[in-house]
Amino acid sequence: MKRFGIILAIFMVVVIVGCSVSSSKDNTNDDKKENTNATDDQQEEKSEQQELIIADQEIAASLDPVEPLTSSYLRNIGAAEALFKVNAKGEVEPSLAESAEEINDTTWEINLRTEASFWSGEAIDADAVIASLERSKSLDLQAEPFLNELSFTKVDDYTIQVETEHAKQPVPLNLSYYQTVIHNADKSYEDIDSMDLSGMYKVTSFSPAQKMELELNENYWGETPSIPKIVHEQISDAQTRALSVLSGSSDIAIKVPVTSLTQFAESDEAETISAPPANTQTIYLNLDQPQFENEKVRQALSWGLNREELVELGAEGQSTPVTTWLASNPTYEEAKNAVYPEYDPDKAEALLDEAGWGKDAEGTRSKDGETLTVKLMTWGDDQALGETIQNQWTQIGVQVEVQHGDYNLIQTARESGEWDASIEAWSTFGDEHALLTGQFSPDGSGNYGGYNDEQTNQLLDDLAEITDPQARRELALQINERVAEQAPVISLYPRPQLTAVSTKLNGFEAHFRQFEHTVHAGLSFGTE
Amino acid sequence: MLLIFSRKILEALLTLGLATSILFILIRLAPGDPVAIMIGQSSDVASSNTERYEQKLLELRSEFGLNQTIFQQYFIWMKQLILFDLGDSIHTGRSVMTEIADRLPATILLSVAALFIQIVLGILLGVLSALKFGRFFDHLTRFLCVLFASTPGFVIGLVLLSTFAVTFSTYEINTEAKLSRLWLPALTLGMIGAPQWIRTIRANMLTEFGQPYISSAVSRGLKYRRIVEHAFKNTLLPIVTMTGLSLTTLISGAVVIESIFSWPGIGKYALDSILLKDYPVIQGYALLMIALVIVIHLVIEIVYSFIDPRIHRKGEENVKKDY
Amino acid sequence: MLKKIINFKKSTSFIAGIILLCILFILIFGASIISPLDPVEQNAAERLQKPSLEHPLGTDRFGRDILTRTLYGGQNTLISSVVALSVALLIGLFVGLVAGLFHGTLLDAVLMRIIDVLLAFPFMVLAMIVAGLFGTSLFHLLIVVAAVWWVSFARLARSIALQVKSETSFAAAQILGASHLTLILKELLPKAAGPVLVFATFELGTLILSISALSFLGLGSQPPSPEWGSMLADGRDHFMQTPHILLGPSLFVILTVLAFNLIGEGLRDRLDPYEKFE
Repeated sequence: MKRFGIILAIFMVVVIVGCSVSSSKDNTNDDKKENTNATDDQQEEKSEQQELIIADQEIAASLDPVEPLTSSYLRNIGAAEALFKVNAKGEVEPSLAESAEEINDTTWEINLRTEASFWSGEAIDADAVIASLERSKSLDLQAEPFLNELSFTKVDDYTIQVETEHAKQPVPLNLSYYQTVIHNADKSYEDIDSMDLSGMYKVTSFSPAQKMELELNENYWGETPSIPKIVHEQISDAQTRALSVLSGSSDIAIKVPVTSLTQFAESDEAETISAPPANTQTIYLNLDQPQFENEKVRQALSWGLNREELVELGAEGQSTPVTTWLASNPTYEEAKNAVYPEYDPDKAEALLDEAGWGKDAEGTRSKDGETLTVKLMTWGDDQALGETIQNQWTQIGVQVEVQHGDYNLIQTARESGEWDASIEAWSTFGDEHALLTGQFSPDGSGNYGGYNDEQTNQLLDDLAEITDPQARRELALQINERVAEQAPVISLYPRPQLTAVSTKLNGFEAHFRQFEHTVHAGLSFGTE
Repeated sequence: MLLIFSRKILEALLTLGLATSILFILIRLAPGDPVAIMIGQSSDVASSNTERYEQKLLELRSEFGLNQTIFQQYFIWMKQLILFDLGDSIHTGRSVMTEIADRLPATILLSVAALFIQIVLGILLGVLSALKFGRFFDHLTRFLCVLFASTPGFVIGLVLLSTFAVTFSTYEINTEAKLSRLWLPALTLGMIGAPQWIRTIRANMLTEFGQPYISSAVSRGLKYRRIVEHAFKNTLLPIVTMTGLSLTTLISGAVVIESIFSWPGIGKYALDSILLKDYPVIQGYALLMIALVIVIHLVIEIVYSFIDPRIHRKGEENVKKDY
Repeated sequence: MLKKIINFKKSTSFIAGIILLCILFILIFGASIISPLDPVEQNAAERLQKPSLEHPLGTDRFGRDILTRTLYGGQNTLISSVVALSVALLIGLFVGLVAGLFHGTLLDAVLMRIIDVLLAFPFMVLAMIVAGLFGTSLFHLLIVVAAVWWVSFARLARSIALQVKSETSFAAAQILGASHLTLILKELLPKAAGPVLVFATFELGTLILSISALSFLGLGSQPPSPEWGSMLADGRDHFMQTPHILLGPSLFVILTVLAFNLIGEGLRDRLDPYEKFE
């Protein structure tokens, strides 16, 4: 009997020793990855870290920029560039383009950089850029909103003229989206040897949806970064991503859970950076349902939400309330508290009474024998948010059923029309007309609830015609307010965005679109 | 002999055909359009041109043959299958065969390692616990079995990961499937799966102790160690059965642990594909899993006939005490 | 030493299990008497509190008392998992015994192939189909669980049926011309019921945990109503921050499994053939 005990003990020892030996062996043998699992002492010995490891929820599954989202990942890690970029303040700046000039209301001229070239050494001239944009336009459906109304002609080798269908289209902004990254259209994107982009880092190895390694592009036109290598890894579990930065296995983790904040607060290894993104968590109401016919009911639902508490319980406090849709856009911050300036359950109850939904003794509201119910569908990280909304609406007498599940359920419900409300967060940054028509015009693809308001439609048409920037802005705000008053959608807060960054890394820039702006030349390693 | 062999093969093929066709129909009944998911979810700016979107949907649907009837689709799939082609993933456009071949080795490595730990823990603790029946050690083992069997996998996984990666800095978090990263997920899966082993082996040992041959051996004064060895030899059959079942569970069901340790196996990939409605991938994955189950069962039968020639004569599957 | 083991006759575990189960039942079904707090009312000011006198197991992310929720949640969990398990058990017993009785015939072969297929069938696909086509309530979750769980019972029942068939009493019944139904009910069922029931008591914990694994698909009890499986799944977000959040549901799952386990062990000691030889 004792023998068994001894065998067990020996086995345990062998397992533990074997494991630590094998992992330390790995440390010394594999000098390319010296820092990834080094202990503190070893880290101090190495003055300069060689590679920057980024842990992401998802990485590219293909190398072709026209495949969905591939270009956003390639751009995020410094492999691909578009003609323009948007800085952290929301301003458009030239990137691969040298400058842009507005010739008249429908014409722009873009000057390219003569010194810029693809990884292969081929020049990025007018022909190459036009070929790239045309390729995106014809193959990438998501590039369509930005490229469809633009036509490109070559003026000379390094100058392009852009004609727009409507007046005052923001051409540089359109050409800053990741869907428009410039790639060599003559090359094949089947493997890393033939792919040809322009970024400061070149892809050296790639396992789809697992790991991508990049090294410095020696011929880069701009400032050369100091970190020689980038590793982009797909670690899909959010808690594991947080742990990977905390343990020093990676240097940046994109989208760490808001619930991991205290773990980082207690650690010297890494910190979290919260950059409010430009999107709005929004409840979309299905206006075909009888209970939402009366706008008073919809308004009541908006008044009856304590957004401060929603941020606290649904986003661990890592966001700020907004009451109108456009307000999460950093350039429209003033609309934050418009229309519904405060939480007012009494007003909500009064509006519901006015609309004929009387409250019974048990606190539920009904009209003509029908109870006032809302079936709210949520997905992804919104489960807690859904439960908080349920609780708040219950207090004003609305019966809420929350269904949290896979996105397919929501999509199917929308097709069949059997849904009341669902939560979604669309980007609010971009051309106002495109954004607002996408959400609130009858044929907008983000207009799930079938909102069709004559006055709003008229204002949207006006917005397309106006050329003066100030007047345009005011009109956009007016539409934003009009929609908030009518409440086909209820705006809550920008979806939180938390990035974990190792304390060894300097120069990290928080950006409201972090997922495509992580790597830049200013990043460096060093102990402060 | 040849007759039996070819009958088995025929049966296996029949099972495979039946299972894949059921799955083929069922996944198409479930809500969600793979093409709409692929082009819809990722864009972050809503567009107002729905016409081109519809057009693109139709284009893609016909590209993947989704506009045909289920029977036509099934026929095409079968035709590809004969040429050992599982088709291309709708989501990534890559060949399903390559995608699976990229990930399966990692999963098999992890499963085998975890199985090894489960068996070792199971035999050691199971036998010891049976020998110390009714004593403190036995009670403790049984309690620990209950504890580990009723704790969610993610708790064990996250606690171990956080301890070894953050506190002790001895575990590296990346996406590679190398040996230095194997031990921790294997240990986790081993701990989750061990209780069932311990329980089964303990129960079988106790049953053997109750057999008359043991009583007579004891009364004849046979050596203690020899008796235990004899008893243990007779628990080999259930161990073989459980090996097969555990291996199947591990290969198909390690999603949570693979995901927590970012182990690049097939579990997470299959789950994602299921959520994305990537039909070719789900079909390829299911085909593989069902084939695997069939092969494992065949192997078990063969191993049985080696261990215990009686089984062969009786020609039946002897699961013995699985509880 | 060995003699002692063999002669160990009376098992106390059965009684211990029954007592533990009774205590759990009293706690769970007396939840409204034991705890004055509301299991669903949120209170943002008291969220994520550590265990204290007021909240013995702390509070969750919505400031709800975890002990209260665990007690109330037990009603949902226990009823649903026991129902699902019983349904699976009945199907499994029936299919397994039929397959065993008709061993070697086409029927047996077909049933065994169905079992093989279900063993390999991606569980999630089935869950998603049910969720999408029928709905996500706890009832639908039970359908999914029962639809796959019976397989292991069927395998066990079949193997026992095969053993019983080689016994003389079975042969005697057969010669006397008993019908198939009589053979199953009178000869096979009494022998198989015990072991399968014991096995089922061990499966309960796995089943409760599998409920939590499906909650990300939206399957299961719908908020705000508490249920152990979904409480465990929801607690994962805050688990690294405030581990106590899982303490309540975990503890009760463990105690429940322990109770059923003890009962199972006790049952086995009574039913197991090795007692006959003592």
